[in-house]
Amino acid sequence: MGSVKGPLTTHVLNTGDGVPAARMALSLHRLDPHMTVWSLVTIGNTNEDGRCPGLITSDAFTPGMYKIRFETGQYWESLGQSSFYPYVEIVFTVSAADQSVHVPLLVSRYSYSTYRGS
Amino acid sequence: MNRLQHIRGHIVLTDKYMNMAATLPSPLTTHVLNIAQGVPGANMTIILYLLDPISSVWNLLTTGITNDDGRCPGLIKKESFIAGVYKLRFETGKYWDALGETCFYPYVEVVFTITDPSQKYHVPLILSRFSYSTYRGS
Repeated sequence: MGSVKGPLTTHVLNTGDGVPAARMALSLHRLDPHMTVWSLVTIGNTNEDGRCPGLITSDAFTPGMYKIRFETGQYWESLGQSSFYPYVEIVFTVSAADQSVHVPLLVSRYSYSTYRGS
Repeated sequence: MNRLQHIRGHIVLTDKYMNMAATLPSPLTTHVLNIAQGVPGANMTIILYLLDPISSVWNLLTTGITNDDGRCPGLIKKESFIAGVYKLRFETGKYWDALGETCFYPYVEVVFTITDPSQKYHVPLILSRFSYSTYRGS
């Protein structure tokens, strides 16, 4: 992989403490359109910078519906805190024209936001 | 007053209190805001589920549509509001489709834990075609 950015990236920021959310478990899923079930693509953890490189290869990043599940509840628990959200799932659509998609998560104990970046 | 009139008075009184119970505001509220256009998110379908902790199945509680103010009163009755894990599903894809636009998010599901059902909880959705946010309000 080296320093080549994958076609799908994420970045988790702990806005409650103003730090990257390090060591948060997350998983990427793709919707199988025929079965209408979710297939697991990758499981990983964010690094010290709140990022998780290597989520998916360009070849595998075909158009369709994807979901990233962030284990936010476990994350806050590891910090000794409770949270309103046991986990966060962001479901998004990727079209053939999408070369590079960035799905960040800004999270606190009682709020979260996301946007489509590049 | 004869005995029948006395009993009738009890029934009428009960109806009055039942009507009062039916109009108590929902302890769980939402508000959808379309920040791309600076308007409330009106006519968006939202669905409320409660997780069955034993079977891990999501049980559908309420289906509603936001009004012109982007709100959906009557999501849940106070007496039905128990501690547990809930999910609010917002049909964002259909919402933007009705406005003739695409959206990055086909739907948004916010899953949250209610530990103290005596409190009020506000779970809004602030939305554009390419972003959304939510927070716990009261």
